[in-house]
Amino acid sequence: MFTVGIDIGSTTCKSVIINDGSIIVGRAIVPFGTGTIGPKRVYQSVLDSCGLSRDDIERTLVTGYGRFTFDDADNQKSEMSCHAKGVNFIIPSARTIIDIGGQDAKALRINPNGMLEDFVMNDKCAAGTGKFLDVMAGILNVKVADLGIISEHSQVEVSISNTCTVFAESEVISKLSMNVAIEDIIAGIHRSVAKKVAALVYRNGIVKDVAMSGGVALNKGVVGAMRKELKTDILVHEDCQLAGALGAALFAWEEAVKANRCSQTQKNNE
Amino acid sequence: MSEESKRITQRPVPLSRIMVNEQTAKVYEDALETKKRGERIAWSTAIYVQEICETLGVPVLYPENHSAALAAKHYGEDLIQYAEGNMRYPMNICSYARINFAFADKLKDPNYEWPSPAMPLPDLLLLANNSCVQLTKWYQNLSDTLGVPAFFIDMLYNFTEEKASAYKVKYIRTQIEEAITALEAFIGRKFDWDKFSEIQKRSALNNKLFKEIIALNVHKPAPLNGFDLFNYMAPMVICRGKESTTDILLQLKKEVEENIKNNTSTYPVDQEHRVFWEGIACWPCMRHNLKTLRNLGINAVTNGYVTAWDINYEPTNLDGMAAAYNFASTNSKSTPTVARLRSDLIKKFGCKGMICHVNKSCKVMDFHVFGGRDLIQKYTGVPIVNFDGDQGDSRSYSEAQFETRIQGLAEIMKQNKEGNHA
Repeated sequence: MFTVGIDIGSTTCKSVIINDGSIIVGRAIVPFGTGTIGPKRVYQSVLDSCGLSRDDIERTLVTGYGRFTFDDADNQKSEMSCHAKGVNFIIPSARTIIDIGGQDAKALRINPNGMLEDFVMNDKCAAGTGKFLDVMAGILNVKVADLGIISEHSQVEVSISNTCTVFAESEVISKLSMNVAIEDIIAGIHRSVAKKVAALVYRNGIVKDVAMSGGVALNKGVVGAMRKELKTDILVHEDCQLAGALGAALFAWEEAVKANRCSQTQKNNE
Repeated sequence: MSEESKRITQRPVPLSRIMVNEQTAKVYEDALETKKRGERIAWSTAIYVQEICETLGVPVLYPENHSAALAAKHYGEDLIQYAEGNMRYPMNICSYARINFAFADKLKDPNYEWPSPAMPLPDLLLLANNSCVQLTKWYQNLSDTLGVPAFFIDMLYNFTEEKASAYKVKYIRTQIEEAITALEAFIGRKFDWDKFSEIQKRSALNNKLFKEIIALNVHKPAPLNGFDLFNYMAPMVICRGKESTTDILLQLKKEVEENIKNNTSTYPVDQEHRVFWEGIACWPCMRHNLKTLRNLGINAVTNGYVTAWDINYEPTNLDGMAAAYNFASTNSKSTPTVARLRSDLIKKFGCKGMICHVNKSCKVMDFHVFGGRDLIQKYTGVPIVNFDGDQGDSRSYSEAQFETRIQGLAEIMKQNKEGNHA
């Protein structure tokens, strides 16, 4: 039985297909978020990735910022519960999850079953989110996906404010005008994000193991800075960006099993 | 998608709500008429000793209540912009104050088309700092800019006490007596102590009725949508010593009891979750708050805000009155005291979660939210979620963030209910 999970973020759409709640058979990521062609395209892409059609899908569940506006799903859930479920699947030892998304950052605490126990989210501010990194990459004229690799060459990390994206942007421009090495500026940007997000994690309480999910977890510079700020190791899985979609697919599978069981009981009673 | 799946029954507006609206309109109309006659009217902080001016027959209007009403009607944005731009107030001060400063300044223009409710300029100010530390500066600015006197009662913070100490009672009682004398002289009317005693009795009766109504929401399903309590607070804020408030509360109590008898509620859908709401309503975004909660079957059955007018004292006992006023409002109490009170309510009302409004305007309250959260979780074990907002400034609020956080809370409460938490 195939189920689909779709995570419609503000900048990226992710999708996963699982078979019988245990094996990932399809994956897709498209760089367009809610309100664009992203949701439809990611759905088609994930089906194409494993040669399935919509008729093969038992149930679809959607999560993420655009979850309320996607009509092709059977149900929706918050991204917190979906990331909890997804990370529990790929990193079963994780009890604390850091998810840095396009426009928000979250610290989640989960139980051994992958159930959400508590969470803290960022306030209404882009600092400490993926958007912050997008803006900084734009000023520096580098691809956001390259930020992590470039920062590995940093010799002297510079200090960048984390109180406001616009102020930080001015600071970065000022550093550039002083000919500060771009890798040192990027290392400072990563530390700025890490400091902001670490405050959320500390507020929520750290229970080991700590894992990161979401697209920003692919940035080794941010992960390294988070490790320094939290003074603990952070586990990152290669499917970290797909964790929300994976959790959604797992919830879809649980719902499908429950529905099938109910329908079987009904038939037996008849 | 969940919104469509919920059955929402449209009901006629209850008589009690119509009575509240009529009472509020009358209060503002009376003030305008009094002003037109050349007599004096007052502006007052929300938890001033209202019994004094009620006795003297001086119409009193409440800027905090007025700012909340304007914010709820979305007039706040323009006034806030005016306060921050034309009047150079920073966005870090209370949004009620910013709205009020702008409103007061605009009232100086005879051609100003004031939004409803129309609140005429005051001839005197009544200031008590038991609910908020910013009020002293707010009213001092009003006093200076409008050139009117402020009658100030300096209340004291209860650092560890759960009852007002004797020296505090003496300090506040003395000020109440001095305020009576000073107001008597300023208004030019003799203070009628017998009438004062009657108004104290009326206030005590209204307080008792309001508490009884709140307590009725303990029933399952709750007979009231908890957000209704925010609206029914208005009579307690602006007319606590009036007979019309007794009439409203008796009618409301009758309606609530009827709901209990018929197993009905003003909450329009099935009540899947009962939660406690901490903090002032997010007035400009209340409709969105309510819609989000309703879509998830969450009824915020009670809240900490409505308990702020629980001013309980024996009529004619000035010491008791002083103590009660000094211990009113969350902001006059220590965080452990508030956490204990909230925990008791959470248990009493069978709440399975707590939603805390991190109100940008109210830094003191935010201390309670963040400082008290761990204590409340320890005492009750319920999940708690915070959201960012403001009592009058819609800019601090994000609809998407609110929806995500509340949905996260609902999912935790659901799994706790289903018992698969282990």
